[in-house]
Amino acid sequence: MMKKIHLFTGMVLVFLLITTGVWAAAPDTTGPIKIGFMGNMSAPFSLSAKAAAAMAVDEINQAGGINGRQIKLIVEDTKGEIPKAVEIYKKLVMNDKVLAVFIGEKVEMGVAGMEIGAELFPEYPHIFFSTIGSGDDIWHRVRDNYKKYRFGFQTYYAISTNYLKILAPDNIDCFKNQIKIKKVAILYEDMEWTKPLRQGIPNVSPSLAAIYKEKGVNVVYETTTSLDQKMFNPIFEEIAKSGADFIDCAVGYIDQPAFVKQWAQSSARNIPVFIWGGLAGMPPIWKMTEGKVNGVMVGSSLVRVAITPKTIPFMDNLVKNYKVGPIFGSHTTYDTIYGFKKAIEKAGGTGSIDNLIKQLEQVEEVAVLGTIGWNAKYHYNLPPPKYVTPIVQWQDGEMKVIYPLKYKMTDYKAPKDLRK
Amino acid sequence: MSNILLQIIIYTVIWGSIYLLISLGFSLICGVLRIFHLGYGVVFVLAAYVTWFFMEDAHLGLVPSLLLMFLVQCAFALVIFYKGVFQRYLEEEEVLLTVSILIFLAVAHLANYLYPVTAGVSIPSTIIDDVLSVGSVTIAYQMILAALAGILVTAIYVLWFMKTRVGLIIRAISQNLPAALLMGANVNRMYYLAMILSVIPPTICMIMIAPFWGVDPFMGASLLMTAMLISILGGLGNLKGSIVASYLIGFIHASVSFIFVSRFMGLAALIVTLVVMIYRRGGIFAGETLW
Repeated sequence: MMKKIHLFTGMVLVFLLITTGVWAAAPDTTGPIKIGFMGNMSAPFSLSAKAAAAMAVDEINQAGGINGRQIKLIVEDTKGEIPKAVEIYKKLVMNDKVLAVFIGEKVEMGVAGMEIGAELFPEYPHIFFSTIGSGDDIWHRVRDNYKKYRFGFQTYYAISTNYLKILAPDNIDCFKNQIKIKKVAILYEDMEWTKPLRQGIPNVSPSLAAIYKEKGVNVVYETTTSLDQKMFNPIFEEIAKSGADFIDCAVGYIDQPAFVKQWAQSSARNIPVFIWGGLAGMPPIWKMTEGKVNGVMVGSSLVRVAITPKTIPFMDNLVKNYKVGPIFGSHTTYDTIYGFKKAIEKAGGTGSIDNLIKQLEQVEEVAVLGTIGWNAKYHYNLPPPKYVTPIVQWQDGEMKVIYPLKYKMTDYKAPKDLRK
Repeated sequence: MSNILLQIIIYTVIWGSIYLLISLGFSLICGVLRIFHLGYGVVFVLAAYVTWFFMEDAHLGLVPSLLLMFLVQCAFALVIFYKGVFQRYLEEEEVLLTVSILIFLAVAHLANYLYPVTAGVSIPSTIIDDVLSVGSVTIAYQMILAALAGILVTAIYVLWFMKTRVGLIIRAISQNLPAALLMGANVNRMYYLAMILSVIPPTICMIMIAPFWGVDPFMGASLLMTAMLISILGGLGNLKGSIVASYLIGFIHASVSFIFVSRFMGLAALIVTLVVMIYRRGGIFAGETLW
C-alpha cells in the first residue's frame, strides 16, 4: 500500500513539475558558455557581423573567458530565408542548448527569431539579441508584453523615437551651424522605418518636417522615392527649382550609387546633401561612383576616428585577422558580446536567466562607438550621445568627421569647392 | 509651365533613346528567332562584371577590357544560349524559358559571390564629365551621349536591315521562315548573326549608362523588365514598334515625374501598356515581322 502511495505521489510531483514549468531546463552553469550566431552568409553585413562575433569570442577566450569559462560560438547560415531561420533558432536553443542567440541580419529575421524564442523560452530559458535589424519591431514587443518577450534585446541604434527626439534635432543644429541652412528639401525612401519620420509619432514626436520648422528651417520640398527607382533626375530638378539650400535624405536602402552619381550631374549638384546611412557611408562608394560622392555628407560608423580606445583596434583587427571590412552591424555584434559578458559577470554566472536579464538592463560597457547598454524597460540599446554615429563628409576620397564636434576632423566644405 | 514642358521634352528624348538601347537586342531575338529571351538580362551583368574582371584582376586598361568583354559576350550568346539552350530546347518552350532565366540568375549570383557590393564595382566610361544647361534644365553630357548612342545604333540597325542583302535575308526569315528556307537562306548562319547583333546594343548601353546608373549584380532583372515592357508594348519582335514604345515609355516616365511624382512612373507605364494590350492585342505594331 505504502509503495503505491509513494508511486502515486511521485507521479503527481512529476506531473506538477512538468505542467508548472518548474522542471524547465536551466542554463548550464559549468563548462563552456555556448552562444549561437545566425545570419545570411551570402550578405556582406552578416559575414562582417559573424567575423566580429568570432573576434569578440576569441579575445574574451584568450583573456580567460567569462568567470573562467570559455565561450563556444556556433555559427549558422539562414540563407536569408525566414523558415530556415526559425528552424536554426530551434536547433540552437533546443539541441545545442545555447545561452544566447545573436541574429545578425535584417529585422524580419529578428522578429521571426523572437517569436519562436518566446515559445521556447519557458522551457529553454535563453537570451536573444538582434544586432543588425533596425526599426521598432523588436522593442515594441518588449514594451507591449514584457513578460513574454523580456529575453529579447535590440542592439541597433535606429529606433524611430530616438531618430525623431535625439538624432534629428541634433543633426539639424549641426547643419544650421556648419552649413547655415535655411530651406530644406526632404527625401524619404518608401519603407516602414521612414513612416514615423514622415508622419511623426502621436504623443511622442512631430514629423521630421515639423522638427525642421520648429528649428526655424523652412521645408520647401518633400517627396518619397521607391526602392526600385533608378532615375532621380526629376527629383533633383524639382529640388533645384524649390530653392532649397540643403537636401536631407532619410534613405538607407535605395540605389545610392545611382542617386549620388545623378546628384553630382544634376541641377542640384551644388546643394549640400546629407544621407542618413547605407552604402554612401562605406568606403567602396568612392570607387563605385568614380569620386562623384565627393562632398556628400552621411551618417557613418566606418570612419577611422577613435571614439573609444576600442574603435581603431576593432577596425584593424577585423581586417587583418578576420579578412572582412567593418560593415554596419559588425560593431554592434562585437559590442553586444562584450555587454553580454559584463552582464554575466555582474550576475555572478549563468544560473538564473532572470538575474541575467536584470543585469543586461543595467549594464554599460565601453564599446566601439561609445557605450553599449540597453534601455531597462524596452531593451533597445542606448542612444546618442552614449552610442555615436558620426556625420562624415566625403572629401577627396576620404570620409572626414564633421560632427559631433568632439570627434571633428575637419570643417564642412561646399560640394562645388571640393570639385575644384 | 514652359519649364515643365521643356523638362518633359528633354527627358522623353533622353530616356526614350536609352530605353531603345536597352530593348533593341531583346526585340531582335523576338523578331528573328521567335524566342522570348528571359536570359537577356545576363548581357548587362556580363558587360559590367567581365569588364571589371579584366580591369581589376587582369590589370588591363579600359579599352582592352571592353574588347575582351565583347568577345566574352559573343561567346556566351553563341555557345551557352544559342547552341546550349535555344537549339536544344526550341521545341520545348517551357524548358527553354526556364533554363534561360536560370542561366541569367546563376550568372548574377556568381557575380555577387565574386564581387559583392563591397568590391566597389564600376566602369570608368565617362566620356565628358560635365553638365549642359538647357534653359533651367541641367543634363549630364554622359546622359546625352548615351541617348545619342541609342539613336545612332538604332539608325545603323534599321538602315542595315533595310539596305543590305543580309538584312533582307534576316527580314525574310522573320516574316516567313519556311519560305526563306525554300529560297535557300542559310537560316542557321543568320541566327548566329542575330545572336551577335542582339548583344551589341545592351553592351553599348551598359558602358554608356554606367557613369550615372547603379552597377550591381542584380541590375539585369530591372533592365530585362524594361526591355520586355517595351517589346510587349511595341509589338513583340517589331523594331518599328520598339522605337515607338521606347519614346512612349520615355514620355510617360517624364510626364509623370515632372507633373506628378517620380515614384509612380513605373506604375504609369505598366497601366498604359495594359490598356494598349486590351484594345490592341499584340502591341502597337502587332505583327510577325521585324520591320
